[in-house]
Amino acid sequence: MATADGGAYSYSLTVFSPSGKLVQIEHALAAVAQGTTSLGIKASNGIVIATEKKSSSILIDDSMIEKVAVICPNIGIVYSGMGPDFRILVAKARKSAQAYWKIYGEYPPTRVLTQEIATVMQQATQSGGVRPYGVSLLVAGYDVHRGPSLYQVDPSGSFWAWKASAIGKNMINAKTFLEKRYNDDISLEDAIHTALLTLKEGFEGQMTEKTIEIGVITVPTTDELEVGKIGGETGRPKPTFRKLTEEEVRDYLAL
Amino acid sequence: MSAGFDFSNHSRNTFLSEKGLKVPKATSTGTTIVGCLFKDGIVLGADTRATEGPIVADKNCEKIHFISDSIRCCGAGTAADTEFITALISSNIELHALSTGRKPRVVTAMTMLKQRLFQYQGHIGAALVLGGVDPSGAHLFTIHPHGSTDKLPYVTMGSGSLAAMAVFESSWKPDLSREDALKLVTAAVSAGIFNDLGSGSNVDACVITATETEMLRGYVKPNERTQKERTYGFRRGTTAWTAEKIRNLVVSEEITPIGGEEMDTS
Amino acid sequence: MSQIWKYVRVTPSGGRVRGVPARSSTTSISLPGTPDHLSSQSTLILRFVMSIMEHNGGSVVAMAGKNCVAIACDLRLGAGAQTIATNFEKIFPVTDRMYLGLAGLASDVVTLREKFRYLTNMFLIKESRPLEPSTFAHLVSSTLYERRFGPYFCEPVLAGLERTPSGSYKPYIVGTDLIGCLNFAKDFIVTGTASDKLFGVAEGLWEPDLEPEDLFETISQTLMNAVDRDAYSGWGAVVHVITPDKVITRTLKGRMD
Repeated sequence: MATADGGAYSYSLTVFSPSGKLVQIEHALAAVAQGTTSLGIKASNGIVIATEKKSSSILIDDSMIEKVAVICPNIGIVYSGMGPDFRILVAKARKSAQAYWKIYGEYPPTRVLTQEIATVMQQATQSGGVRPYGVSLLVAGYDVHRGPSLYQVDPSGSFWAWKASAIGKNMINAKTFLEKRYNDDISLEDAIHTALLTLKEGFEGQMTEKTIEIGVITVPTTDELEVGKIGGETGRPKPTFRKLTEEEVRDYLAL
Repeated sequence: MSAGFDFSNHSRNTFLSEKGLKVPKATSTGTTIVGCLFKDGIVLGADTRATEGPIVADKNCEKIHFISDSIRCCGAGTAADTEFITALISSNIELHALSTGRKPRVVTAMTMLKQRLFQYQGHIGAALVLGGVDPSGAHLFTIHPHGSTDKLPYVTMGSGSLAAMAVFESSWKPDLSREDALKLVTAAVSAGIFNDLGSGSNVDACVITATETEMLRGYVKPNERTQKERTYGFRRGTTAWTAEKIRNLVVSEEITPIGGEEMDTS
Repeated sequence: MSQIWKYVRVTPSGGRVRGVPARSSTTSISLPGTPDHLSSQSTLILRFVMSIMEHNGGSVVAMAGKNCVAIACDLRLGAGAQTIATNFEKIFPVTDRMYLGLAGLASDVVTLREKFRYLTNMFLIKESRPLEPSTFAHLVSSTLYERRFGPYFCEPVLAGLERTPSGSYKPYIVGTDLIGCLNFAKDFIVTGTASDKLFGVAEGLWEPDLEPEDLFETISQTLMNAVDRDAYSGWGAVVHVITPDKVITRTLKGRMD
């Protein structure tokens, strides 16, 4: 049985403990649970993903830290857990999105890209000489077939679709808060405010545009889609995912 | 597939050609492509004809390819090569821009293109005019299929390049206005359209400035097809056919009540 | 792909070749002003060299109509001048409202048909969403370009109806060359040994906004008349007309010579 230090089954990834657990994966989840809180909410006309950006010292230049990442024009992700692991996943996800674009002439649907990331994360639980990724991700994306969708990916490589979810340090409280606040016809604007309110619960220190990062999916109108898809050889369709600027975050915080 | 070509058909194809069967050629864009600097940026221009030997394969193809928001690339030569190399570099530029968090530069695109072309020793038959505006200013390059490049204030490429260059040589001057530059580019491409058999149809143009990129697809259409004198519609039933199969895509569903007690759905 | 003629110096035999031009046959034409050093009798002989694309013969044409598209092919399978079969269909269904035509070397037609069937099935399983013509067109293009330096001798034509974001259908036809350069057209796409003739006839006969039944007549007449002037295509034809709610497939009665 796994003990507090992990016991005999905690070193080799490919060995199940007698109780059927892969202890390293549980340790990876523990690493995620120590990370700063991130959350995502799906609204009727878009999605918001948000996270707190905490630096351990005031001497750190926090403009360099990026926790919400653009993968391709229709998909963005945020993480809780280990920053360096996230960077690797972002690089792999971006490459995967571009590879898909080169074959099909369009960017991958959210589900397909999520699956690709999840596969990468799963492989790290079954390969020799590696450890699982110490991150959970929230993937927000838009595609014509399924509309806006929000996925969570865990270190084990499992993933689910959510209407709203939270990961990281405060996930339990945040999820309870979101369950109370969520309804199916919430607008994107309201969702952004709910996201900020949720982060506020259990936020240590001052919530400012420097310590909050937000990304949004805006669902295009049918007219915009017609322009983007049909006869769209000339230009590129308008991106549906974007990160809010510091000014925009400040305005939301002021309200 | 970014760098990976599949050569597994090559030995078979060599065998077939040794048997005396000719190996066919791909679509090429005979092409007049041009570009010139003006006061606020770059104007690119291209004709819209694609040829397959003596046949006009496409009367209105697009030769100004997207690299990034403010970088575009005109392509001449083997049509598929221009299409795919610009798509590849556009993709790599997007990745590069995401990881650096900066606006991509024209020299970066130019270097990526020339390195790949040089690597393939001219077998990727793309002759390009690359232009755009980045934080360091407006830049215009030509890139040859073997990987050599030039940086000039006005450039032409393709089979119509001589005709187009004649126009530039006689009329280009520094600090042209937007209108004059567009007029000049149109005149240069038109020279190709009307004097070079490999070029034809319409003039596409693209104006790139620091603030805006304007793609003018079909900017001038001097060769519109005139209305046909009469129509050649056939009376229905003209064509004799021997068999017909209709596949219905609409599945119709009919509910036939068969009596009995209604299910309790309360 | 157009024929490739090779200039060779031969003693003039004169006249047009009667019968089918085989690989070794010669055709001569007199060219005014031919330099004397080429031939003592100032006559150039053109020797016909068959291209791989022409070896098995066959042609495909696709046309866009009003809210519908049509795609048609001949039925000949040859080996040079010899006809092997007259039931060789070159058009294959990809999805309900999309058909793919492949003209060129018959072995590659079959190989590519299977390859695209595999890729289509994998797409549908992996993505569980409909495969639209614009997506499939890029898949065809990238698949062919992957073999840029050892191509399949095949030029695909795709005809289908594309679902618009508002839920209606839009005609979508596209062709590529043998290394995957896409050719978007609003009117028609042609390929195969009769492509030169098809270009001419289609340019004359095609009209915008044809109803399915009128489009059937136009594409049928285009194919039949072009193919009748091509030694390597013919022996019957098949036409598919795709509309939002049904696909009409007809086998045409044509010359069998």
